[in-house]
Amino acid sequence: MSIPERSLTVLVAALGGEGGGVLADWLMHAARDCGFPAQATSIPGVAQRTGATTYYLEIFPAKREVLGGREPVMSLTPSPGNVDVMVASELLEAGRAMQNGFVSPERTTLIASTHRIYATVEKMQMADGRFPEERVLAAAKQLAKHAVLFDMRKMAEDNGTVINAVLFGAMTGSGALPLPRAACETAIMRAGKGAQASLRGFAAGYDIAAGARPPPALSPRPPPPETREIIELGVARLRDYQGEAYARLYLERIATLGNADPELVGETGRQLALWMSYEDIIRVADLKTRRSRFARVRQEVGAKDGEPVIMIDYLKPGLDEMASLLPPFLGRRLLSWAGARGKLDAYNVGLHVKTSGIGGYLLMRSLAWLKPWRPRTYRYREEQALIERWLAAVRAAAPGSTALALEIVACAGLLKGYGETHRRGRSNFLAILDDLVQNPAAGDAAARTPAIRNAREAALADPEQKALEKTLGRPVTWLRPAKSR
Amino acid sequence: MERSFATEIESLKLGEGQTFRGEGILAVTKALLQSGVSYVGGYQGAPVSHLLDVMVQARDYMDELGVHVEACTNEASAAALLGASIAYPVRGAVTWKSIVGTNVASDALSYLSTAGVMGGALIVAGEDYGEGASVALERTHAFAMKSSLWMLDPRPSLPVIVRMVEKGFELSEASNSPVIVDLRIRACHVQGEFRARANRPAALSTRHRGAAAGFDYDRLSHPPAIFRQERLKVEVRLPAARRFIAEHKLNEVFDGELRELGIIVQGGLYNNVLRALQLLGLADAFGASRLPILALNVVYPLVPEEIVGFCRDKRAVLLLEEGQPEFIEQDVATTLRRHDAQVKLHGKDLMPLAGEYSTEHMAQGLRKFLAQHEPRLDLPGGGRWLAEVAGVRERAAKLLGSPLPARPPGFCVGCPERPVFAALKLAERETGRPHISGDIGCHAFATFEPFSMGNSILGYGMSLASAAAVGPMMAQRPLAVMGDGGFWHNGLLSGVASSQLNRGDSVLVIMKNGYSSATGTQELLSSPPPQARDASGRSAVHADRTIENALAGLGVNWVKTVSTYDVAKMKRTLTEALTTEAQGLKVIIADGECQLERQRRVRPATARQLAAGERVVRVKYGVDEDTCTGDHSCIRLSGCPTLTVKDNPDPLRRDPVATVIDGCVGCGLCGENAHAATLCPSFYRAEVIHNPTLRDRVLRGLRNLLVPA
Ligand code: SF4
Repeated sequence: MSIPERSLTVLVAALGGEGGGVLADWLMHAARDCGFPAQATSIPGVAQRTGATTYYLEIFPAKREVLGGREPVMSLTPSPGNVDVMVASELLEAGRAMQNGFVSPERTTLIASTHRIYATVEKMQMADGRFPEERVLAAAKQLAKHAVLFDMRKMAEDNGTVINAVLFGAMTGSGALPLPRAACETAIMRAGKGAQASLRGFAAGYDIAAGARPPPALSPRPPPPETREIIELGVARLRDYQGEAYARLYLERIATLGNADPELVGETGRQLALWMSYEDIIRVADLKTRRSRFARVRQEVGAKDGEPVIMIDYLKPGLDEMASLLPPFLGRRLLSWAGARGKLDAYNVGLHVKTSGIGGYLLMRSLAWLKPWRPRTYRYREEQALIERWLAAVRAAAPGSTALALEIVACAGLLKGYGETHRRGRSNFLAILDDLVQNPAAGDAAARTPAIRNAREAALADPEQKALEKTLGRPVTWLRPAKSR
Repeated sequence: MERSFATEIESLKLGEGQTFRGEGILAVTKALLQSGVSYVGGYQGAPVSHLLDVMVQARDYMDELGVHVEACTNEASAAALLGASIAYPVRGAVTWKSIVGTNVASDALSYLSTAGVMGGALIVAGEDYGEGASVALERTHAFAMKSSLWMLDPRPSLPVIVRMVEKGFELSEASNSPVIVDLRIRACHVQGEFRARANRPAALSTRHRGAAAGFDYDRLSHPPAIFRQERLKVEVRLPAARRFIAEHKLNEVFDGELRELGIIVQGGLYNNVLRALQLLGLADAFGASRLPILALNVVYPLVPEEIVGFCRDKRAVLLLEEGQPEFIEQDVATTLRRHDAQVKLHGKDLMPLAGEYSTEHMAQGLRKFLAQHEPRLDLPGGGRWLAEVAGVRERAAKLLGSPLPARPPGFCVGCPERPVFAALKLAERETGRPHISGDIGCHAFATFEPFSMGNSILGYGMSLASAAAVGPMMAQRPLAVMGDGGFWHNGLLSGVASSQLNRGDSVLVIMKNGYSSATGTQELLSSPPPQARDASGRSAVHADRTIENALAGLGVNWVKTVSTYDVAKMKRTLTEALTTEAQGLKVIIADGECQLERQRRVRPATARQLAAGERVVRVKYGVDEDTCTGDHSCIRLSGCPTLTVKDNPDPLRRDPVATVIDGCVGCGLCGENAHAATLCPSFYRAEVIHNPTLRDRVLRGLRNLLVPA
């Protein structure tokens, strides 16, 4: 038997708590059972606490007997361009491996799970901060010599095991390891506890990588709805929200756009439907007491049939919510009184409402039953007035520049959240509307469009509004609790 | 403790000729027993925690062998432990993370090395340098030189590491000096095997006690003995050490056909330099290199004759020495100059001045070296490889479009420390952001998103002390954060006592989670008593009051204990501490047991109850997707791994909604934050009743008449 020139190298990128260490142990055991010299090392440290970490292995694919007492010298660190099998337990980590040069077209088999576990910086953004996964997938297909990509977390869940078993199976099934399936399975069995589930996960991964069974079907993102669909969805939403007449009002408002560009009509229809169905306490109480909601929660928490689920909602209504239910003159007085004293958030009461119990349910339902009263409230009046102002601006811009009109439409996306978050969003929206939409400095649409876009993006850059203030060159004030010192 | 070492303990008992399999640091542990140690101590910290952890768990076996095991409160007490080997012929070893541990230990180390040792004294230092490091990056080497401690840097192969530990004791005894065995992170965790020898019980041990030594002034590091001892170091101990190193061939020379050139390398880097040579086509997989190599398993002291001998008849040598300053290179240069050796010496002129030496760096350095001294040598493979790597990285960057988001470590799911920073973020809105003095421990994760808090980190238990001069200059009081681990390590004296003496006016938050959690939940002086650690999953730390009593004993009057999960109360307390008229140190004890330890108790108990058909209530939090508007304020106040985002199920909305995924341990922070920050009405708490009783079922039936739950 000829002696190979070099060790086979395996780099595993995992997140803390995913069993990367166990996977390395399995590989070591399997390699030893085959009589191959092998070495594994890692840098656990604090990375074991939910951060990204790596395990590195080298296997010399020749039996010790034929080496005549010689020991291969193995490296302790992976080097770029010299990884035979790159394993990533999550998609972004596969991207990181590529970024660091560990996936080479000449040499590397890439085994990666396609699910995402978002990093904190991705999920904390005020809008959508997620890294575009298509880019990682496309890069993986282009950069690896051979790529095995599927949702291994799902496979693990389906088989009642941890992702490391599926990864191990996929590595073996890809044919990139010099280890026969039986040796790998023996290594898993040796662990005893949970071995049966691990073996199932291993088999699933093996079969998919070897092409013997199809990977779990991707649930593709539904394409964004088209204009007609949007309007239909909007109508249905508003009919549910406030009845037939309100839905008609929606259609009338859309009609004022005339024969504008369909994309503009669609976007306006989308934002308008969301805005008109603003989340007041009546809406929230209504949504929280629907049959579909109870069913969804039961499913989310994994309750089986027959298992009771107690649901407790965290509500903390305050003056905002109160005012939004009052008639306009009272609501306005209340808020300006509280705003002037910095007491807008001073009277919120934290409630734990047991919505699954009879008392809590009735409390919530009684709020939901206030729906017919809504058109007479302060909040309703305010929202409709601002909607009209916004629509007028869109209408004014549309004939000259669809792009400009679209930017103005998009600003409505700043209005979201509740309480303080909502006040902040509204102040951002108003600041942009005042400064850039209705009193613009530069005249032509080509200059105004990017100015509005920049301001909108700045408004979403940080919750302290520093970026927006810089962009507009003035402070954006909003009603927030006064500093006590 | 986080991890059980049951199987590892068995491998410590292996006898003569059996094969030990396991990681580097446990091989060291076994080698200590094979060397007949009488005592072992240390302070936990990556990458050497396992050495002590396994010994603590193997207490019974250690008793049998007569080995005393001491889990020290810091590295200074660990170093002082070695004092036993000054006056008694006993072998002992201590371990810690370096550079930081060596810094803390340095006072005792100076005295120890000055007095000199009779029995072998070994320090197993985990060199926390390069990828995976978590401390200030400095070299332990400097301490070896200044204190005359001999330093071993073994080739990262288990048989070599074990041999070096065994020889280290002999070296220590032959030269009356303590010896450091320095192991890099990956060497501590490298999995390999070696042929074991039988463990050797010590002559003097907990099983065979002796009498106290007689008075001998020469063993005291005290004038006038110190003057003699300093001379002994250089006149007697150093030459003895060099003799031993040469005689026992601790350093290794690997010949190669390009005899006029050579590489001198720290032992610990040997494997990686061979890989670089292999990639350049200059070595095979078994370590046969065309360039001769001197691998320094002992990096201090060097043996001048060995250096000169290796360099004789060579035109040029390349010295590969990681980190800075380049102590070895300077040492070698002096030696060569003194011997008037004409070889050309390269090192940091061709290699990076700072940072870890990766295979890629070494290959680049070697290429430069060979281009100067052997330009006719053909290195086609190596050149292609280096170019390819650059090309692949460039392509990846282009395809990915923008750099990937970082994923630093963070607080665990349901961690009790996270809520403190949520509360601080809320308190700041009222008080303004104070100067925040950080410390070492899990709470340092608050320096990352979503909290991004902290103005300085000055070492373990140093947060309060490092704010002492800030307070008097700031309009606002500074706030120091410290873990209970840091409090016992150093914070009590350096921080609290000093603040009391100087009438400091800072705020100190002590994270009382019950363990040294970041290093693997080792026990502390204030860990909750075993009987308080029940399977209910409730925090048990209130059952121990050692910290409170210590503070009272030092005369700290303003002490408030607040459950960490009570965000509103924590926010009020922080605001009060930052703004109160009361002068003096204000301590907030953030009371909440490490979630890892709680889950370790709860999980098996729950599994047992479920299997036995008992009623179990499981709590999980959730977000209503149809009321969530996708602003993610909740995530900016938490960062819990199980509070994340998902595609918006509403076809009219674009931004992802927040969601709580499986794995939520129901710590309650989500609900507390929703209330304390008045976030939104989307959060709910669900209690699932498994194995419901008849009563549960009847009640549900009744509710269902009205509520569709
Ligand atoms: S309640 Fe929230 S913070 Fe606590 S474990 Fe669950 S998701 Fe994480």
